[in-house]
Amino acid sequence: MRTYFSDLPKTALGASYWLFAVYLVLPLALMMAMSFKDANFIAFPIGNWTLDWYGKVLHDKQFLAASLYSIGIALATTICATIIGVWIALLVSAENIWGKSAIFALACLPAVVPGLINAISMRIFIRAVDIPTGTFAIILSHTVHAVPFVVIMVLTRLRSMPANLVDAARDLGADPFVAFLRVTIPYLMPALLGGMIFCVLTSIDDFVRTFFLGGYQPTLPMLIFAKVQGGMSPEINAMATIVLVVTTAVGLYAEYLTRRSRS
Amino acid sequence: MVDTTTQSRAVASLASPRYAGWIGRAVSSSLYRNTIGRLADNRWIRLAVLAGVPLIWLVMLHIGPIVQMTNISFIANYPPQPGKSSDYTLANYALFFSDRLYFMPFIRTLIFAAVVTVSTLVIVYPVAYYVAKVIQPKNRMRALLLLLIPFWAGELIRTFSIIMLLANRGAVNVLLRELGFIDRPIPMLYTFFSLSFGVVYLLALYMLLPLYSAIEKIPTPLIHAAADLGAGPFQRFRRVILPLSRDGIVSGCSLVYLTAVGVFAAPLLLGGPNAVIFPEVIAMLFHGSNDKWPEGAAFSMIMLVISLTTVGLFMRVVGGRSIRLM
Amino acid sequence: MQPVVHFKNVNKLYGELPAVENLDLAIEPGQFVTLLGPSGCGKSTTLRMLGGFEDLTSGEIYLDGKPISHLPPHKRNVNIVFQDYALFPHLTVRRNIAFGLELKGMASGAIHKRVTELLSLVALQDYAERMPAQLSGGQRQRVALMRALAPDPNVLLLDEPLSALDAKLRQQMQIELKTIQQRTGKTFIFVTHDQEEALTMSDVIVVMNKGRIEQIGKPSELYARPHSRFVADFIGQSNLLECTIVSVAGTVGTFDWRGNVVHADVIGSTAMPGAHATLALRPETLYCLTAKPEGRLALKGRIVHRVFKGAHTSITVALENGTSLVVQLDPVALSHIEGDAVWVGWRERDAVLLAS
Repeated sequence: MRTYFSDLPKTALGASYWLFAVYLVLPLALMMAMSFKDANFIAFPIGNWTLDWYGKVLHDKQFLAASLYSIGIALATTICATIIGVWIALLVSAENIWGKSAIFALACLPAVVPGLINAISMRIFIRAVDIPTGTFAIILSHTVHAVPFVVIMVLTRLRSMPANLVDAARDLGADPFVAFLRVTIPYLMPALLGGMIFCVLTSIDDFVRTFFLGGYQPTLPMLIFAKVQGGMSPEINAMATIVLVVTTAVGLYAEYLTRRSRS
Repeated sequence: MVDTTTQSRAVASLASPRYAGWIGRAVSSSLYRNTIGRLADNRWIRLAVLAGVPLIWLVMLHIGPIVQMTNISFIANYPPQPGKSSDYTLANYALFFSDRLYFMPFIRTLIFAAVVTVSTLVIVYPVAYYVAKVIQPKNRMRALLLLLIPFWAGELIRTFSIIMLLANRGAVNVLLRELGFIDRPIPMLYTFFSLSFGVVYLLALYMLLPLYSAIEKIPTPLIHAAADLGAGPFQRFRRVILPLSRDGIVSGCSLVYLTAVGVFAAPLLLGGPNAVIFPEVIAMLFHGSNDKWPEGAAFSMIMLVISLTTVGLFMRVVGGRSIRLM
Repeated sequence: MQPVVHFKNVNKLYGELPAVENLDLAIEPGQFVTLLGPSGCGKSTTLRMLGGFEDLTSGEIYLDGKPISHLPPHKRNVNIVFQDYALFPHLTVRRNIAFGLELKGMASGAIHKRVTELLSLVALQDYAERMPAQLSGGQRQRVALMRALAPDPNVLLLDEPLSALDAKLRQQMQIELKTIQQRTGKTFIFVTHDQEEALTMSDVIVVMNKGRIEQIGKPSELYARPHSRFVADFIGQSNLLECTIVSVAGTVGTFDWRGNVVHADVIGSTAMPGAHATLALRPETLYCLTAKPEGRLALKGRIVHRVFKGAHTSITVALENGTSLVVQLDPVALSHIEGDAVWVGWRERDAVLLAS
């Protein structure tokens, strides 16, 4: 019996994995640790620890307003992107439709165009069609950004759906619309939930589109950005830590849902 | 008598599980049959409903903005102002090539994106290989998930966290000073280095997932067979693993490159005066009081066309089939 | 009696390729009818046209005397048991069976009663609240059957429903299907490529090939009196004899088979002397003797293969006229082995003159 992997490469690979994991986690851990620093500037070592910054952030009206605004935009984006994404995916997966691959490529276009260009072209576009910058413009651009991902997730799930399911529903007396509501949608549900949470997170996370299309009301990333530019204090760390914990929890849940839908 | 029948009916409905009888009643109602039901029965109406909204959306919002941007990039003045020409012109493109102020950041951006792409590939490849091939299959998902967790924190927060690491009084400098290696902090933040470091940190996921799924698909017996035929670790990597993971490399590199070309938040937080890259130049043309949209549009077009052609050429040369997003 | 299903001159083209050609088929109510044929023969297309999932290129289908080819699937009173069952994975067994009833707008209490009744018909009462993924193949099969029966269709269509089951379970389900068909008195149209399945269950078998009907008949009829070379070959095993007609006297024809004079039944045939003809002989109808018998047909040959097959032994005999015949015998009937000389013959009514 020969050992195909001599131990050295294997150890090196393992080391690279753990180094990488530390590389990913360390900055965020430091960022979180700094939120407990009892001083109004950012610097190591931390010295005295305090929870005051959290108290301050949680009573910060600006932060709460920005959070609500971001969540509102994220929810609106999610609803629009899910409806349109599912619709496009259904069109792409339909039989006897001419130019399906062209439609699919077009649907994925915003995902390969660099984010800045997406934002700028949308800024130019909304002026051309006379939409003011602000909430609606943000939702529109976030939706355009999220649609390709919804399309791909839904298509993946649709491809695993037995073709006979819809036929069976039709056979038992469902017209195409009822069959879609009662069979296709329930089948897509796990992928839809995963996709929706993905939409929420990318929307809450987005900076560049909001930067170009936003009005006077700041979203969460815009608020954090403004605070960073205005001078750094551990207050930002506390704010970022709260956002991070919430989004990560939601993200993990989404991951769990998509994994479950695949098995 | 009446009482007992109603009672027994009530008991029956209580005992029986809930059926979606209302759907049936709704569907068989004349209201439904004459409205949605009739539409759903007609094949052409069905096709129109199926295709209508997606096609309008795709044409309006996936192509429309790019078309309008292209249009504006050829106009002398936009929005049209009295007394100024709004003819079609190539001047906006000419401006790009005539001024080093615009030209240099663009070159810098391309180099920057290439450096970031290659660094990410080199850093992530062994990690992806380790997760896909060395770890026991039952632990694989957990190992992958551990790496995915940090990516659920947003772009801006992760960029911000890099400052904690690299600032003059950040963790690295403080640690080096405590250990006695340095007396004065090394200025790392607001340089080309901190920018690249941060963007690699931001985009590693886009490399990790395609690489992982490509490497995972390589049949392990193939690697064993290569070893059996006398290939050493390096030979196995170069002749078997690398060629077979080509699709993943192409997808990962393309995604990282395209995203790196257009990063925006990272240069604002991590870049400095000596590390101005093209997105900042473009952004300046759209923000502020003296905005110059036609020039900005032209520059965006240049960036879009050059970055997409670069990726297209790369795919042609290396031979990947398509970009996979997930 | 009015046929429950009537295909009138139905054609189906896929582009230029005909899938079903000039199909004329009337199905009597209450029968178990099997469409039998190799894959690509048009049997599934025929079923899907009846279900409403394929358009007709021309012709018309009548259900209880009414044309239905313009109706979408959900407006036809026929139900299908799909090949891979197509149970809704997100609904319990109970809700799966209730699906069609719910869409009919039936009251909850009535649905509950009907579903419970159907579940007890296949002894699945205890599985009502399970999800389809928690069932075995045979149980899924039964649920699919009950789901299709629940809305009380005029005709039940079964599209190779047993093909996913293993051999033992398939035989058990064949009997169960037949029992349910007899008990409910419904018309079943069953599609399969498995001739044994067709012979076991059917009242009537429709043999299809290349989009056309080859022969319609009772299982025993088809087996004993195949009309065409295709049917003789597809159902069971046959020795095919290429010969020339010498004369016809009443129902018995005399043939010249490579210099040997043989006889066969020619009922219903209009073959003329001098024409080419094909005779079909079932291996089990042949006899095999060690000495030349008196007054009976016997052709001399030599055993080239002897294969033990459990219930019978299959012997290949090379005849002196250059052809060979397969004979199926009782394992103990003949002890001869390869190389031994034997005499082979058959009764004239066991030889069938094929139409083509």
